[in-house]
Amino acid sequence: MLNERDLREVLEVALSHGGDFAEIFIEKKRNTGISLEADRIERIVSGVDVGAGIRVLVGENTSYAYTNDISKEGLKKVAAIVAKAGKESKKDVTINLKQIKYTTDLDIVKMPDSVSIDDKVELVKRANAAARKFDKRIVQVTAGYGDAVQEVIIVNSLGELVQDTRIRSRLLINSVASAGDVIQTGYEAVGGFAGFELFDNNVPEEMAEKAARRAVLMLEAKPAPAGKMPVVMAAEAGGTMVHEACGHGLEADLVQKNLSVYAGKIGQKVASDIVTVIDDATLKNKYGFLAIDDEGVPGQKTVLIENGILKDYMYDRLAAMKENRESTGNGRRESYQDRPIPRMTNTYIAPGKSDPKDIIRSTERGLFVKKMGGGQVNTTTGEFVFDVAEGYLIKDGEIKEPVRGATLTGNGPEVLQKIDMVGNDLGFAIGTCGKDGQGAPVSDAQPTIRIPELIVGGILND
Amino acid sequence: MDLNKYQSLAENLVEKSKKLGSQEAEVYIIGSRDLTIEVSNGQIETMKSAETYGVGIRVMVDKKMGYSFTSDFSEDALNECINQSIQNASKNTPEEANALPEKRENYANLDIYDSSISQTPVEEKIEIALDIERYARKYDPRVKIIENCTYQDSEYSTIIANSNGLSGSYKGAYCGAYAFLVAEENGDNQTGFDVQYSLKFNAIDPKKIGEQAAEKAVRMLGAKNIGTQKATIVFEPYVATNFLGIIAPALSAEAVQKGKSLFAKKLGQDVAAPQISIIDDGQMPGGILSAPFDGEGAPTQKTSVIEKGKLKTFLHNKYTATKDGVSSTGNATRVSFKSTPEVGTTNFYIDKGDISREELLKDVKKGFYITEVMGMHTANPISGDFSVGASGIWIENGEFTTPVRGVAIAGNISELLKSVEAVASDLTFFVGKGAPTLRIAKMTISGS
Repeated sequence: MLNERDLREVLEVALSHGGDFAEIFIEKKRNTGISLEADRIERIVSGVDVGAGIRVLVGENTSYAYTNDISKEGLKKVAAIVAKAGKESKKDVTINLKQIKYTTDLDIVKMPDSVSIDDKVELVKRANAAARKFDKRIVQVTAGYGDAVQEVIIVNSLGELVQDTRIRSRLLINSVASAGDVIQTGYEAVGGFAGFELFDNNVPEEMAEKAARRAVLMLEAKPAPAGKMPVVMAAEAGGTMVHEACGHGLEADLVQKNLSVYAGKIGQKVASDIVTVIDDATLKNKYGFLAIDDEGVPGQKTVLIENGILKDYMYDRLAAMKENRESTGNGRRESYQDRPIPRMTNTYIAPGKSDPKDIIRSTERGLFVKKMGGGQVNTTTGEFVFDVAEGYLIKDGEIKEPVRGATLTGNGPEVLQKIDMVGNDLGFAIGTCGKDGQGAPVSDAQPTIRIPELIVGGILND
Repeated sequence: MDLNKYQSLAENLVEKSKKLGSQEAEVYIIGSRDLTIEVSNGQIETMKSAETYGVGIRVMVDKKMGYSFTSDFSEDALNECINQSIQNASKNTPEEANALPEKRENYANLDIYDSSISQTPVEEKIEIALDIERYARKYDPRVKIIENCTYQDSEYSTIIANSNGLSGSYKGAYCGAYAFLVAEENGDNQTGFDVQYSLKFNAIDPKKIGEQAAEKAVRMLGAKNIGTQKATIVFEPYVATNFLGIIAPALSAEAVQKGKSLFAKKLGQDVAAPQISIIDDGQMPGGILSAPFDGEGAPTQKTSVIEKGKLKTFLHNKYTATKDGVSSTGNATRVSFKSTPEVGTTNFYIDKGDISREELLKDVKKGFYITEVMGMHTANPISGDFSVGASGIWIENGEFTTPVRGVAIAGNISELLKSVEAVASDLTFFVGKGAPTLRIAKMTISGS
């Protein structure tokens, strides 16, 4: 491994033609993945990816290069490529490094490396058995286990040298139910910044039953109705809505380019009074937890919207430099192959005052969303969609028959302004968020909330 | 990348794997050099360059499969990779159909390497990205924000060797450019984008990319919601390729064998309107995903999957083919060296029809020309159910009238394929997927 002097030399090469900031990101990531399908283990894959990315910022422009060759010579070669972005003739730079220690008590009880492949295999087998046992209409079960141990070294021309280890584990279960011509699926996932202990509290059998129950339930569900109607989202539904309706639009790179409906609205009312939105990287063991981000900035809690008023955006270093302020620790990247960009971590709508039962009871008719799937947003127009994985009709304040196949669509700021009830509960769900082709592990959450009108993408009866 | 050097490394690693305890072994090596240039407001915003390589080793021990990968080519790391792969195999379930492709004497010689892609000076490539922006802004003054105009290229080498004596390699290159921008008028902002990828450097047309992206944004200005109703639907080629992305997994033999395909048990039956033919062509001239062999060394080919509405075959890799007692269709695909070869598509498209787009639109009394869908990844490739956000342009009596946004359409892929009324002749590719304009019978549009 490279020592401090080597790293300093590489940085000096990177800045040898000028430039305002240089950074090396070295990563070693070990992965294990196990998949089960058709009642048998299908894939056991493990491996290691090692590489480094170097960037130089000149004004607001980025020069980035990466390599798998993390020897001193390999890095110097890459540093020389990015150095060309500097406009000046060759010059000498001296950088002094100081190691910055962040003391984080990670609470990792069972490091993935210390758990045998057999135990990991057993986990997916247990999930499979439980899902199949649940109902004979379950015709297929896919279970996937994954863990990653990512070690990073981040060093920059500010003289900061930071090391961090990120440990993530997850389990995904997808069950397929079939009856006659109808085929439906049910999906459950759990993931965390955690080791194998994650599965002590998240029992595979319970998850598998949930997934199986949903698949079977959807066999009998009717297509969702079409058009505008009140929607109540349960806390356990997850946070896809907040992630899409406002999260992405509050990422500073999009805001600065005026690609967000929330641009220029700091201090203004962008949501109803009862809505507070927070991004919190410090939530221990959550999937989006970060002790430090991928630029060496400590993860933090940022209040984005407070009682309806827009307070702040999510920044990485580059976006922060443009406004001469501090990063909020949201600079993330998928791997050494990517430059960091502002990303969410654990994003949620803060709990309110209403009893979730009252929210349903006071809704005459509408759609009840028990589980959300994926979503997407166009931050420029504010339009977003999210998928309903499990939904029911509400009639006279009661949850009635299940409906399937619905996407809900609305405009972010309009929907946030309309939210008229916020429950006193909170439920999290995990996901892999995609932006600029980079995936990032995140979690999202919300209490039970009510939106008086949202467009349900269903089917009209003839 | 020195192909000969890595070819012998691959062959040596196969030998070593056999010595260390595997009966069958396969080594896949990929190396690439990539460049991305993003410009905005006449300036280079990001320039990214890379040189990377990686190896994936697949072994079989008593018909049990194991896989491991590394991007560290030191001897220790490679040995560790083999051992890890063998250890993973030992924990797996035996499967009779686990097999590696047979030795081939030769592969097709395809025109997939244009040396001018890597030899063209970077300044010229920057100019392409800058030109896209210039043409976009010139097209219409309402084009106010350039998210980015990007040029990208990649030169790559793929090497494979296995214990059946199979050994092959090829070198390829592609380049592409795209634009994401915003048009603004009276406080209304609308986005537009266009993309073009090619195997030939000279084929990239910045004027077309810039102008089409601009046109797509400008035509959406003033878009409004519409009431919930049923109407004829027309998919722009890009939207049709989005739906192809949901159809593709259901046409893989793997999904069928596992009871996860809406096309299972439908071989030989009519699964789409007679105007629809779907083809996968791994050797398509000019195809971005064309290659002499697939992700496990089986030769690629042209496969008619759906012919005039009838389901002819599924797509296979060696494993699914062995299981069904047929030949691989050369559709083993890998995301990277980190993944095992799964069943996937190559150049995958809906074949063109014989009427022009204008003729296709002419008969639409009241319809919705969809230019963008949102949340396509939430559609369910197993059940075929989809419900997506949509925007586009309203059609009255064959003419485009007003832009529409914020609505949703829902249905099922099986029904959608059967309700295609007309297929235009304007087949257009977006990287690996292509489609012409499609007209569909009435569907529900959920609006305000």
